Amino acid sequence: MTPKMLLLPILLPAVLAVVLLLLPRALRLLRDILAVAGAGALLYYAFVFFSVKDLRLAVPWLGMGIDFDLRLYHFSSFILLALAGFLLLITIYTTVRMKDAPRGREFMAYVFLTAAFANGAALANNFVPLLFFWEGLLVTLYGMITIGGRPTSGRTAVKALLISGFCDFCMILGIGLLWSVAGTSTMSDISVEPTGLAAVAFVLMMIGAAGKAGAMPFHTWIPDAAVDAPVTFMAFLPAAFEKLLGIYLLARISLDFFKIRPGSGLSLLLMIVGAVTIVLAVLMALVQKDLKRLLSYHAVSQVGYMILGIGTAIPVGIAGGIFHMINHAMYKSGLFLSAGSVEHRTGTTELKKLGGLGREMPLTALGFTVCALAISGVWPLNGFVSKEMVFHGAVETGSTIFAIAAWVGAIFTFASFLKAGHSVFFGERSKEVPAVKESQPAIVLPILVLAGLCVLFGVYNKLPLTLFIQPILQGRGEAGAHVDFTAHALAVFNPVALISIGCLVLAFLLHAYGFRKGGRKAYLASEPIHNLPGMHQAYDLAEKRVFDPYDQGLKVIRGLSLGLFKGIDRPIDFFFEKIVTFTGAKFTGILKKAHNGHYANYLAWCLAGLIILAGLIGLLAQ
Amino acid sequence: MNVETTVLLTILVPILGSFAVPLFGLAAKRARSAWAVLVSGLTAVLPLTLLPFALQGGEQVIRKPLVQGFDFILVVDPLAVFMAAVSSFIGFLIVVYSLGYIRHEENQNEYYLMVLLFIGSMMGLVFSGNLIFIYLFWEIIAIACWRLIGFYREPAHVRKADKAFLLTFFGAVVMLLGFVQIYGVTNTFDITAMRGTLVPGTAVLLILFGLFSKSATVPLHTWLPDAGVAPTTVTALLHAAVLVKIGVYAFARLFIYTFRLPDGWREALPIIVMISSLVAAGAAAVETDFKRILAYSTVSQIGYIFLGFSMMNAAGVSGSVLFILMHGLAKAGLFLCAGIVIHAVHTKDIREMGGLIKTMPVTAVAFLVCSFSVIGIPPFGGFFSKFLVILGTVQGGRPWVAAMALFTAVLTMYYLFKVFSMVFLGEAKHPAPEGTKSMVYVVAALAVLSLAAGLFISYPMKLANIATTQMSWWLR
Repeated sequence: MTPKMLLLPILLPAVLAVVLLLLPRALRLLRDILAVAGAGALLYYAFVFFSVKDLRLAVPWLGMGIDFDLRLYHFSSFILLALAGFLLLITIYTTVRMKDAPRGREFMAYVFLTAAFANGAALANNFVPLLFFWEGLLVTLYGMITIGGRPTSGRTAVKALLISGFCDFCMILGIGLLWSVAGTSTMSDISVEPTGLAAVAFVLMMIGAAGKAGAMPFHTWIPDAAVDAPVTFMAFLPAAFEKLLGIYLLARISLDFFKIRPGSGLSLLLMIVGAVTIVLAVLMALVQKDLKRLLSYHAVSQVGYMILGIGTAIPVGIAGGIFHMINHAMYKSGLFLSAGSVEHRTGTTELKKLGGLGREMPLTALGFTVCALAISGVWPLNGFVSKEMVFHGAVETGSTIFAIAAWVGAIFTFASFLKAGHSVFFGERSKEVPAVKESQPAIVLPILVLAGLCVLFGVYNKLPLTLFIQPILQGRGEAGAHVDFTAHALAVFNPVALISIGCLVLAFLLHAYGFRKGGRKAYLASEPIHNLPGMHQAYDLAEKRVFDPYDQGLKVIRGLSLGLFKGIDRPIDFFFEKIVTFTGAKFTGILKKAHNGHYANYLAWCLAGLIILAGLIGLLAQ
Repeated sequence: MNVETTVLLTILVPILGSFAVPLFGLAAKRARSAWAVLVSGLTAVLPLTLLPFALQGGEQVIRKPLVQGFDFILVVDPLAVFMAAVSSFIGFLIVVYSLGYIRHEENQNEYYLMVLLFIGSMMGLVFSGNLIFIYLFWEIIAIACWRLIGFYREPAHVRKADKAFLLTFFGAVVMLLGFVQIYGVTNTFDITAMRGTLVPGTAVLLILFGLFSKSATVPLHTWLPDAGVAPTTVTALLHAAVLVKIGVYAFARLFIYTFRLPDGWREALPIIVMISSLVAAGAAAVETDFKRILAYSTVSQIGYIFLGFSMMNAAGVSGSVLFILMHGLAKAGLFLCAGIVIHAVHTKDIREMGGLIKTMPVTAVAFLVCSFSVIGIPPFGGFFSKFLVILGTVQGGRPWVAAMALFTAVLTMYYLFKVFSMVFLGEAKHPAPEGTKSMVYVVAALAVLSLAAGLFISYPMKLANIATTQMSWWLR
């Protein structure tokens, strides 16, 4: 295994992307085979890399100490493995789901291009290659959303681009500052105290990482994209890839580049961002009427748990946050793919129109149910384990308010998934959609694989924890301390776990109450909360996008632009166009009048000139 | 062929070649077009042969003694070779594009004559090592530019051409005053003889007035959007290859290679240019005329180039050198795409366009690629130049200016994607086919080059780094 091999996870998908884009439509079968085989090869190499774990490639690139520096170590090899796994599942799914979609070929190419950039970002060990790959994702993000093909797709794509671009630019500034403070751009050499300018750098880089992961307030494009972009895209980027990368970088920032300590201001800031994201996003998710939009708000809400976990700066919390990242990617991807399967057969994801599909689509229903229970944190699935770790971390910081926020999130998460699952797969068969069949194997298989992994990572959590998570934290904290979180992973009889289970029971009761109140219609189960005094008004304002920083930001941008244009640019032009020409015309007008062709006039000028000259000569002579 | 002959040919071929255009025009239209392409092609190739010399960090000064104090001096160094190669190459692409674009217009003799003269005087300016010759070539460019902006001969257009000419001419005369003041200090116009001189603040002000008027920096910028009445090829030439790049090039040549700037100016300059950049970006976000938007975008991007140079550290200066290349490629691409669109739909108002991606896929993709590059998104070339400029600004201890630059980048993203959405997406209002092959190939080539410049960044970067170390003697 030579260091040059590290280029493979970047170049192989990039080359494949170009090939896939160029293959004519008639060779679709070849295209699909190539894509699946390529993704399979990448997964194989990801396993190989995971076993190697230690490899570095650094070649001179831009000069000034900027090398093209890639580094494989346990954390990046874990991310690489996760990325490759999702790539394979999404590719299989795409071969069927995007078969007849216009620009389906393009979509596949973007998937592989995204994989190339994501792998590069995970491997980068210098800030410049990191930014190169990280920001490159903007291109595929824009392209993939426009493939949605709805009239508003273009608008949503620009929204996603502007928000993500803003976050990335913040990160550039943060990296610049950190670079000045640390004196190097090699990531593995950086470890600074977050004070003064470095604290600013931390916040800016955090915006970049959390923004990529979709934390509030940089999340608002995700629910829009849920409607406007292909559902495969949702399962691919916002659910899986962006979470993996964003949280990976956030963990690197707060573990490696900056020494964040429990109880410090920056730790508190992270926890606040996490807690607010959990609660507000889940409240939005609860009242959604469309399955895809509901899922997308959960994709935001769950990021809160990861950020909260990492923000605690306590080993069990950090480990929980990172473990939650991989768990979330699995069940959220599985949920979006299930939604896609439903949409594939019924043509809709509106909760109102669906119902009782469980009998016709048993496998999709099974996958959805497992993933939904996992995201809700039901024992013994993976979501339970990672959430418990985050709860423990939050409780250990001593600021119980954050643990309470996390528990509130858990209540409404379960409530909204009871509502969603109940509306789509259980209850009465709706009459609005005709009889359907289960989706093709290529669609069902990825869902079931993900659901199976959710069970595996929960029941046998020792595997991911010892294999992936614990090595990341090894050697941190007190020297020589043994890192082991497997001991109480599935333990039920402790106060934290009991409260969590109580939350789930509460959620069930809430759902049952809403279901009966809403005339036994599951999609109305959230109405009692929706209609609470105060809540209703807040929801209405949210519907009007009053809280959307993008819409407000655009207003600011438009106002500012108009101000600059009308206040500075136009007055300057007015000066040149009117004032300069006017004075010019006046001046030449005076000269013109002086030249009126009268002999006497010219003679007078000459005399006056002579007198002045004589006077001057006289003055000089003195 | 040695360096001296190559440089002399680079300057003389286009200038003398331009005057032969009417002769070929007398013979046949095709002969004239072929001649123009040949001359500009040769001008593009000649500086490329100097690249090995430049990559070794070579520097050569050529002197042809003339009247006392007015020697014809040429400085051949990596910066000059870089600039000449970029300008002449983009100029060549624009000439090829012109074949399709202006084939139905009158006065083509004059058009090609002026375009070649334009490129030729640019070459002269780039290599000049004497302030007076810099001024001379500067004014020849202004004259060529004046004729070209008023190419369509409509009274309103001629007025805009006059505006451009008067403003830049006024700026140049003020700059000449600055040169005279410097002569008062140094007793020479030879820039190689006065390297390292600390120039008086007033001379800097006078010279900057000239540079800012030519490089369209607020508050001397409004002639540039107005110059959009010219044929699109000319606008592209003005923005990407020749005209506005003169100001930034002269800044690098005078204030980095030659003089030392007084500290006050080093403090003030980054703020002045970033305000210019922000104002122009704001104006671009408001405008609805396709070419005016792109023109304001140029004003905005020029601010970045000045910013990088004014930081005077390795990252900033090499970023700005690189920026000249990346912006040249991408902005030429954007204007030529706009040209294809305007040619086809017969309006410049983006509100009356829409859905053109269906009928013009190549143009649309090229526009998108060039937009990404101008905004500074990888893997396109513009990313590296903008990143390095911003990095240089942060390293120079001006994080607030860097934040402003990044905010301007967000604005850039906003208005360029507004344009893209309005012109190419949505419902089709005037479905129209793409232009002639030569036009489409050229925009595709520019888009591919913008991408290649990013993917193979280490090659242009190497030259930019060498140019930086060569000219910023105090960094060594």
